[in-house]
Amino acid sequence: MARVNLLGICCSWSPFACYNAAGMARMELPSNFDLIRVMCIGRINQALILRAFEYGADGVILLECQDEDCRYGPGPEVGHNNVQRVRKLLHLLGIGQKRLVEKNFAANEREELVAALWEFARDMEAMGTNPAKPSQEREGP
Amino acid sequence: MKLDDPRIKRIIRERSLSFCLECGKCSASCPRMLTGKEYSPRLLAQKLITEPEDEAFIENSVWECLTCGMCEERCPSGVAYSRFILDMRTLLAGTKGLKGYRSHDGALHSWMRLMTSPDLEQNRLDWIGPELRVAGSGPLAFFTGCAPYFDVFFSWIEVDTLSIARDSIRLLNFLDLVPVVLGEERCCGHDLLWTGDRENFETLCRQNYEEFKAAGVREVVVSCPECYQVLSQFMPQVIPGFDLKITLLMELLDREIRKGGLSFQPLPRRVTYQDPCRLGRMSGRYQVPRTLLSLIPELTLAEMENSGRSAVCCGNNGFINCDLYSKRIQVERLKEAKATRAELLVTACPKCMIHLTCAMRDPLRQGSLALPIRDLANVLAGQIEWSGGEAPVGPRPR
Ligand code: SF4
Ligand code: SF4
Repeated sequence: MARVNLLGICCSWSPFACYNAAGMARMELPSNFDLIRVMCIGRINQALILRAFEYGADGVILLECQDEDCRYGPGPEVGHNNVQRVRKLLHLLGIGQKRLVEKNFAANEREELVAALWEFARDMEAMGTNPAKPSQEREGP
Repeated sequence: MKLDDPRIKRIIRERSLSFCLECGKCSASCPRMLTGKEYSPRLLAQKLITEPEDEAFIENSVWECLTCGMCEERCPSGVAYSRFILDMRTLLAGTKGLKGYRSHDGALHSWMRLMTSPDLEQNRLDWIGPELRVAGSGPLAFFTGCAPYFDVFFSWIEVDTLSIARDSIRLLNFLDLVPVVLGEERCCGHDLLWTGDRENFETLCRQNYEEFKAAGVREVVVSCPECYQVLSQFMPQVIPGFDLKITLLMELLDREIRKGGLSFQPLPRRVTYQDPCRLGRMSGRYQVPRTLLSLIPELTLAEMENSGRSAVCCGNNGFINCDLYSKRIQVERLKEAKATRAELLVTACPKCMIHLTCAMRDPLRQGSLALPIRDLANVLAGQIEWSGGEAPVGPRPR
């Protein structure tokens, strides 16, 4: 099976607490998975999600807090709106909309987070590599 | 960058920069400078020739220009300023990486680069309903450009660029032309080209050309002036033996109307017209849109203070450097449009429509700049009829 590149964009609060706790407990995570930690998923915009695909991701998962837990207020809602909009662009580009996943976690849900990452990895591996990859180097430094 | 770098010397020579008289006419007409930006085309020209070691200044300035071509219009020495900027950007992007602050964090450039994928399988034709007649192959194609993507991305400012593509096809259908619309058409690459990404631009050109060839296309009709500029002026440089005929939709209409049999239903509106830079200054088409508007009975065209050759830019180009100075350019432009007492602002470029609509929506101005804005294709499709009378092919302009 083709090796797929997976990217997680993770809110620094609840989901990162789960991720951290999973690491402390030495729980196994998919190996082809990279994580970017951001202060809040509300920081992420459509461009940054698209950029992940431009740079070669085969799947992107946004790890967000539960709606009511956001430390700043609208984070998960912003994330949700961006996902809806980017999915339409991904559809136009023929990048399966399922390649963009959004999940919410409370701070104590390390098992759920790890399970979600494995499920994400399995789904992406089943879909294979993303057909829409730029044919050559993107932007310079 | 060194004074004797042969690539710089070549650009200076090819773009006639050494003919610069330092008269300052470019700076005095540059919309970016006039709105207060610390940027001077004259100074950039001078620095490059006399002080090329001031790299920081030169590099910053090169990314500031809107490439609107106003300065070239005024330059008494024939300096090809926007092509000079294009060459410098291509050179700098190749050596130092792409710069220029990308609007919307570069989302548009990302999708344009994603389209260079050879295995792309787009779903870009969902908007073509049964009311439009299109073909999968044939001699004549219509190029839709990024309209389906803009339609999604700019839905939040309620700008309907897809209506331009729909109405363009309606107009072609009205003339009994059934255009090919490609399922794997790519972005024309205009914005990548003008922001220095020559490599990806050329890939898009080749892919589009191959798609056209595979569909048996010999003539491509274009409505967007940026696509027109790329397909007619830049694609032939990239494709050896380029043999497609590129036709502006408005010129095709103008020709057909001259044959007789077509007319327009009255539109009792006072309208003004924004000349897009790629259509006007860069392709020399000032008269055709005005002629077509003048054929609509009861329509009054009220020109803005700066129109035709001196039309002011819509404030942004290639989706880089949208900033408060862009905004000022747009606000001033909309004030000019308002001053004509027009009820409708007509343009011929989807980008003008996007940028000006965005500025109109500034909440602090409380709607004082708002003006209905439509593309020329929208207006024409709303009014065209066979001279014996037949229903227009599109919705009437608001
Ligand atoms: S092309 Fe336009 S923005 Fe650039 S220097 Fe000339 S007038 Fe100014
Ligand atoms: S208008 Fe032409 S000659 Fe005058 S300063 Fe500008 S580039 Fe030089």
